Amino acid sequence: MITSSRFSSLLALVIALTGIAPIFFWIERFPQLVVVLALLIGLLQEWRGGWRFSNRQFNLALVPVFIWYLLQYSRSNPIQPVVSVLVIMLAARLVGEKSVRNLLQINLLSLICLASRSLYDLSPVFLMWLTVMMVLLPVSLVMLTFAGQNSVLLLGRRELTRIVGAALLITAATLPATALLFPVLPRTAFPMWQFLAIPEAAAPGMSDRVEPGSSASIGTSRTLAFRAELPRQPQPPYWRGTVFNRMNGNRWVRDAERATDPMTPTGQLVSLTIYPEPSPSLILITLDAPLELGLSRIRVTPDLVYELVRAPGKRFSYTVRAATDGLLRSKGLPRQLDQYLQVPAGLQSAFVQQGAAIRTKGANNAQRLQLVEELFSSGGFQYSRQGLPTGPDALYRFFFETKQGHCEFYASAAALLLRLAGVPSRLVGGYLGGEYNEIGGYYLVTEDRAHVWVEVYLEGKGWQRFDPSRFAVNADAVWQEPARATLGMRLRYLLDALDYRWNRAVVTYDFERQAEQVRLAARKLKDVERGLSWKQLIWAGGAVMVILAVWLLAPRIRQLHSPEQRLVRQLYRLMEKRYGLSVPVQKLGLFELAVQTGNPLVQQFADLYGAAVYHDRRLNPEELRQLRRLLQQLARAQQRP
Amino acid sequence: MERLPAGKPVAALLATLCSEHLQGKDEVVRLAMIALLAGGHILVEDLPGLGKTTIALALAGATGLSFGRVQCTSDLLPSDITGLSVFKRETGTFSFLPGPIFNNIVLLDEINRAMPRTQSAMLEAMEERRVTVEGVTHPLPEPFMVFATQNPSDQSGTFPLPESQLDRFLICTGIGYPPEELERAIIAGGGIRERIPGIAPLISPEQLHAARAVVARDIYLSDKVVDYIHRLVLATRTDRQIQTGLSTRAAINLAQAARAAAFLKGRDFVAPDDVREIVPAVCSHRLVLRTGLSGQDQGGLLRKIIAAIPVPLA
Repeated sequence: MITSSRFSSLLALVIALTGIAPIFFWIERFPQLVVVLALLIGLLQEWRGGWRFSNRQFNLALVPVFIWYLLQYSRSNPIQPVVSVLVIMLAARLVGEKSVRNLLQINLLSLICLASRSLYDLSPVFLMWLTVMMVLLPVSLVMLTFAGQNSVLLLGRRELTRIVGAALLITAATLPATALLFPVLPRTAFPMWQFLAIPEAAAPGMSDRVEPGSSASIGTSRTLAFRAELPRQPQPPYWRGTVFNRMNGNRWVRDAERATDPMTPTGQLVSLTIYPEPSPSLILITLDAPLELGLSRIRVTPDLVYELVRAPGKRFSYTVRAATDGLLRSKGLPRQLDQYLQVPAGLQSAFVQQGAAIRTKGANNAQRLQLVEELFSSGGFQYSRQGLPTGPDALYRFFFETKQGHCEFYASAAALLLRLAGVPSRLVGGYLGGEYNEIGGYYLVTEDRAHVWVEVYLEGKGWQRFDPSRFAVNADAVWQEPARATLGMRLRYLLDALDYRWNRAVVTYDFERQAEQVRLAARKLKDVERGLSWKQLIWAGGAVMVILAVWLLAPRIRQLHSPEQRLVRQLYRLMEKRYGLSVPVQKLGLFELAVQTGNPLVQQFADLYGAAVYHDRRLNPEELRQLRRLLQQLARAQQRP
Repeated sequence: MERLPAGKPVAALLATLCSEHLQGKDEVVRLAMIALLAGGHILVEDLPGLGKTTIALALAGATGLSFGRVQCTSDLLPSDITGLSVFKRETGTFSFLPGPIFNNIVLLDEINRAMPRTQSAMLEAMEERRVTVEGVTHPLPEPFMVFATQNPSDQSGTFPLPESQLDRFLICTGIGYPPEELERAIIAGGGIRERIPGIAPLISPEQLHAARAVVARDIYLSDKVVDYIHRLVLATRTDRQIQTGLSTRAAINLAQAARAAAFLKGRDFVAPDDVREIVPAVCSHRLVLRTGLSGQDQGGLLRKIIAAIPVPLA
């Protein structure tokens, strides 16, 4: 047994927790502390009873906090101050007295807190919290109506079950409306936070330049880069991003002006759909090497780098058709190939000698590539992200001394040697491999999968993919997927698949998808049409609608459209305006109204109207006319003062 | 007013009574008039010295009806009210001497002081409108109205009327102190008790009879209002604070009283307003509240119940 007011207070604490928990890790330290403290105090008060602060004290205390956060507010920081004030207000209510009014405020503030999560993040976890909230709030509202009538009402298990049942029913009843509103309401595909947050400074991932030796180690980030929906590939797939064609000192950059002749990828054709995570980069990831990409407003360079023309305002996805053999057929015009032989000035002589040796040893480009391969495979190279050589001679030290580095070192060194040996070559930046999610049927590629490899021009064939990193002695350990998924991984895959579906079905739901649904529905209807006459369907549907409408509206229409009802409504509305009577219709009789207002016109109206209606007969046209005239006179009299 | 020619003299009577003789007692006088027109009885419950007797006397005087008075005490016998047969030596027969109840308006003062035996004899007469003494039935005069009073604060040596007996009164009401100004004037000028015998009848017996006939027959009670009354009665039966709701007799009485109220307003139909207005006076003494709640105001409860029932407007 529990009293209604106590149950409401406890429920309010739970609701507040449901409102705060989803945003807790996003908000600043101070509101975090305050709200935890308030929850504890609130709980303690419930437990021990009494010891409450008056609301006025709290409202006063809130003023400076409010002013402080008002000053914090700026265009670049619009979210945190608002959410902080919200959270602190909620905290104050949690500690204050628990009147029905305050409990309602707690409910409302908690709901807004939960809603503010969408400013930070649009993950499906929100849905979970929302569901909890949608169950708790009706329970609380039902409970508060009881508490408002009788705060010491004792509730047993049976009553509680019934109340919770009623609340669940309310929640269930709102679901159709929610489903109906979902396709209609405007939405954002990015949380507001993402537009405004400063991009993380030194995260690994695909970048717009390759510079081995710029730092001694790089971190690993499991941040999701993109998902690609395609069947599992026998080999870890290469995800093509951008191409670097020019070397400046240790740094490879992209010179987009340099064009090459058109290239055609060869090999087995694969179709896939890519769902990139929001990022500031305009480069579109494709599967190496892409034939076509199903997206408008893009720019393609001859070296098969796809770029968006403008930053997208929302999440998006695109289809790619690619051939995966790693060979791009090309005629290779000599004038254009020359630019892929450029090397920076002031190279270490060891590199130059090595390059010259390969050039003389190999008769053609294919043989020279073979020689470079051998250098890497027999050199005992280790793949490593730590203990990297730095400085201007980093590449030299990697290749001749430490023999430890990451893909940038491997690819840079290989491409440099090849260029020195007279073989046109360039760097390709993208990703390699990824975890294949069997449940969702897609590759999950994180930022730490970023990779750089080399493309080499072979006469008579075209551009051949060459990945020197694969010759590292520990290459398999680094790049291969674990053979069997553990239970934890399966769970992670399941959650990720959920997240993926959420993004596809909810966050990126847009007009195109709506149109697609309509098209789909139309197509399905056509199928139905074949088996059934259209006319029959329309007639049947129309009949059902009419019956439904009549059934729903008939009683109302009868009432609304009887002239008596309209007249009375008009009169009461006039009286309300004129005399400020806040009595709803049907709470005051006509003659009482006449006495209260003391208006002879109202008395006339009552006499005339009552004589007909309370004689159980309808108003005749003459009476109707008179009554309308009376109403007009009343309305005029009202306007005059 | 033009609809009801019979209403005119009654309205004039009421206006004169209230403005000249019984100032500040409008409500009680009107309720008494309603009881008279509807053929019911009235119970006035208030402290002594507020003019209960005066009202009854004035009403009798102004209507030209005969008036009888019984002061109830614990040793009052039924025959003291009904009358008794007396042996006449000269003729050698018994002849019946009618008691005070054989009048048009009978004032039963402090009815709760009489013994239950006497009370029930009186109440039986009220219901049956006739008296049987020694095997002979004597009809009571028409119109017949009992104007009973009781003092609610006086508890010792009283026999409170049981609910079933209370149900026989059409109306139960209080009087209340007169307004300030008026009370001063009364103190200065003295009571009107002495002047009452001088009140000339303001209405002829025929007129009164016609008015009663109109109330009984010609005032239209619409289905909507019947429904309204029925809903009210049902609501009192399901209310959680009430132990016993309104009886069917109460509903009948409510309709009768509403008719009379509508008649007094010059209407030939009953409006829901009449019902709303008359409900506390007609129904509050018939409600039995749950134990523990008996201290509550029945009138207020009734007003709350009726406020929750939508007024039929169209």
